[in-house]
Amino acid sequence: MTAGLRRWGLLAPSLAIVGLFVVAPLGIIAFVSTLDRGPQGTVVWDRHSLDAYAQFLFERDLMGRLTLNTDYLRIFGRSILLAALTTVLTLLMGFPTALWMAFQPPRRRGLLVFVVTVPFWTNLLVRNFSWILLLRDGGVIDAALRRLGLTSGPIEVLYTPFATAIGLTYSFLPYMILPIYVSLEKLDRRLIEAAFDLGADRWRALTRVILPLAMPGVVAGAILVFVPGLGAFISPELLGGAKSMMIGNLIQEQFGQSRNWPFGAALAFVLLALVLLALGLHALRFRRERASP
Amino acid sequence: MLDAVTAAGGVAATTDAAVDCRALTKSFAAGTVRAVDDVSLAIRSNEFFTLLGPSGCGKTTMLRLIAGFETQDSGSVFVHGQKLDGLPPYRRPVNTVFQSYAVFPHLTVEENIAFGLEMQRRPRPEIAARVAEMMALVKLEGLEKRKPGQLSGGQQQRVALARALANQPRVLLLDEPLAALDLKLRTEMQLELKRLQAQTGITFVFVTHDQHEAMTMSDRIAVMRAGKVLQVGTSADIYDRPASLFVADFIGDTNLLEATRIGARRFRLANGVELDAAEEGAGDKVMLAVRPERGVLVAPGGEGLPGIVEQAVYVGADTTYHLRLAGGLRLRLRDQNRDGSAARRAPGDAVAVLIAPAAVRVLAP
Amino acid sequence: MKRAGDLWHFPGARAVALAVLFFLYMPIVTLVAMSFNSGDSLTIWSGIGLRWYGVVLDNDDMLRAIRNSLAIATVATVAGTTIATMAALALARGSFRGKRAIQALLGLPLVVPEIVAAIALLLLFVLVGFRLGIVSVMVAHTTFTIPLAFLPIRARLADMDPSLAEAAADLYANEWQSFRRVILPLIWPGIAAGAMLAFIASLGDFVLAFFVSGPGSTTLPVYIFGMIRMGITPTVNAISTMLILASVALLSLSYLLGRRFR
Repeated sequence: MTAGLRRWGLLAPSLAIVGLFVVAPLGIIAFVSTLDRGPQGTVVWDRHSLDAYAQFLFERDLMGRLTLNTDYLRIFGRSILLAALTTVLTLLMGFPTALWMAFQPPRRRGLLVFVVTVPFWTNLLVRNFSWILLLRDGGVIDAALRRLGLTSGPIEVLYTPFATAIGLTYSFLPYMILPIYVSLEKLDRRLIEAAFDLGADRWRALTRVILPLAMPGVVAGAILVFVPGLGAFISPELLGGAKSMMIGNLIQEQFGQSRNWPFGAALAFVLLALVLLALGLHALRFRRERASP
Repeated sequence: MLDAVTAAGGVAATTDAAVDCRALTKSFAAGTVRAVDDVSLAIRSNEFFTLLGPSGCGKTTMLRLIAGFETQDSGSVFVHGQKLDGLPPYRRPVNTVFQSYAVFPHLTVEENIAFGLEMQRRPRPEIAARVAEMMALVKLEGLEKRKPGQLSGGQQQRVALARALANQPRVLLLDEPLAALDLKLRTEMQLELKRLQAQTGITFVFVTHDQHEAMTMSDRIAVMRAGKVLQVGTSADIYDRPASLFVADFIGDTNLLEATRIGARRFRLANGVELDAAEEGAGDKVMLAVRPERGVLVAPGGEGLPGIVEQAVYVGADTTYHLRLAGGLRLRLRDQNRDGSAARRAPGDAVAVLIAPAAVRVLAP
Repeated sequence: MKRAGDLWHFPGARAVALAVLFFLYMPIVTLVAMSFNSGDSLTIWSGIGLRWYGVVLDNDDMLRAIRNSLAIATVATVAGTTIATMAALALARGSFRGKRAIQALLGLPLVVPEIVAAIALLLLFVLVGFRLGIVSVMVAHTTFTIPLAFLPIRARLADMDPSLAEAAADLYANEWQSFRRVILPLIWPGIAAGAMLAFIASLGDFVLAFFVSGPGSTTLPVYIFGMIRMGITPTVNAISTMLILASVALLSLSYLLGRRFR
């Protein structure tokens, strides 16, 4: 067996699985989104229309005319906003944390990475559920605040976009901390020493030397938070309630109680397009930076 | 035609060649880099043969082609008459000592040495006996159960040697095995390797960029550059009779003097002085190569080229004089300090240099 | 007089870091603590007890969900790690046409939003007429255990001295012997790490399982979600704590093994 044949033989199972169960299904989504909605909300496999996409923006009123429906647009807007907000929050919280971790003595660093990683690997559902315990009326925070006399009535945080934001931030915080930490840890300390030697105080060393050099880690973290944040399902489902839906919940609804598969497929396709767009923009910017002298 | 024979080191019958490379060519990077360019080489049995050249000259690639880690674009490799083309490394009767030693870190010294024999499914008692024999050969007794991580660089290298030799290959390939050792250890190992080769009778094909190392250990040397073999010969062949400008310059120190031909064996230097050579060479514009130690320093005003000592570099056993001859021509001359340091010439001294015709080599520029 | 070491202390970073660590652990600790609550309330403490753990262990549906999750995780891990090892070996050395594209393709499952991947798989199964059950979840999980396990295995392979494989071949080992006797022992820690990651991820996955599991093949996270939806009882606290402890135990094991093999 030649080396080339052996290589492709070794790659065959992984390529087959990814091709068959990831790439092909994505194509099926695109296909289904162009189908007609069937009687029970599933699909009619041979009737095509762009109704699903039209439904995104318009709805038919009683006289069959199309009017603009901003409900879905609002959900998309909220998703983008929440994902962006989560990115900013995790950055504000994550960067100082990573900074502190990176400058700890080496032995402690490994332990700290482990400590930060553990919540990351704990079940996402469970982690968001724990916030229900904390945020619900009569829950831990509510009871504590009332006992301290800071509030008099229920805090009514749960089932608002605010609760979703907390849940998202909590879920994605390790995704921001770890890449920044890796970036900072690899930093050549002598560069910072050179900055000190040239008269920079700690703040200036931070903003003029450390931060720019840690940028790759920051960008990586931002992508790791924003992109999955767009498509988040669990946090808004458990903590957001019906009035704070995000794209993920909307999609699930089409396969659940709303029973509109083509529409669900269309939404999934649009989400995928958004994600690929964001990644593509990043790749382009990255490539342009590398190409420029 | 004659050049081809000279280039091949004069081995007429290829059947008694331990390693016979014929017109090997290997390119990388989609043909843009010719690592080995139509090289033919015949290495004799029981020979310590060295491939010598600067980095990137193709010597390591040659070794890897013989071992089977690379496949040539064209040409063939024969080992003791057996054609090796297309055979993977584990079917070739050669073994390699790698530059990084490549000792298996998860196996003990014993297990490392036994590895090749186990792969060949030799019976247990035979393996045990051979391993013991090898450990004695490379003087590693007592370290059988150690792991490579617990050994020094020199010890690891000896494990790599023993591991290769245990399989009794007819040809042993060594890829710059001494490069990572410190000077003292390296010198020791050079003698050790020479002894091993003589003792086992195995053909050694040795790769190095260090000419001193090559000259110390080799029966014959092939000087390579940019994928081609420039010259094959003994150390003396290469040192005294370099075939090209590059070889003359690469090996040892040489004075290179531009000259034009005024006779069959007579040449005029840039400063007008005329020199006789013992050979003709070819062409009207030539480069005369004179080794610094071949020139003789005499008192001025008699025979010899007159000049002045610009610098005298004393290094104990000898002194290298940087001379300025008539017309600004510069010449380096090395003299043994036979009469002690006091008898040295000093900068500013007027001297003359005698260059015998036999010391002048005529090369193409 | 400022000590030299003070240079590396950025004021405020420590405070934020500690606050963040508190933020990360407080909810989990609260949850775990409340699981030992012997009272009926989810959030009001009435004393210590293992009552709700008893309820968990009595619940047949829950036990079946646990068994399903473990079975699925085991299959997805074994399959994913094996396939990932093969892929890592194939991509280890040399560049060839399409190498970058293949690496991107292999990473694709981690890039696509989970809900999109879940819907996609669901539609695939419906289109093909494949009945949703344990196997469909196993397939779904294997799509992401492959890229997940791939990363540490690949890293470990890259660290390995390439001449070791050549030395093995030089010493008459064919490809399989070379793999079994030289490469495998040396990349074993990477494979173990990858398997650990894959197992934990599969155990904890909710979104994929939610969409492609069928009746009778409910996984633990899906079951928990159902419980939360139906009305929260403290049993959720108990089972959640068990999940947390399982993850932490596996992770600690992985961490300690990693330290030993450094």
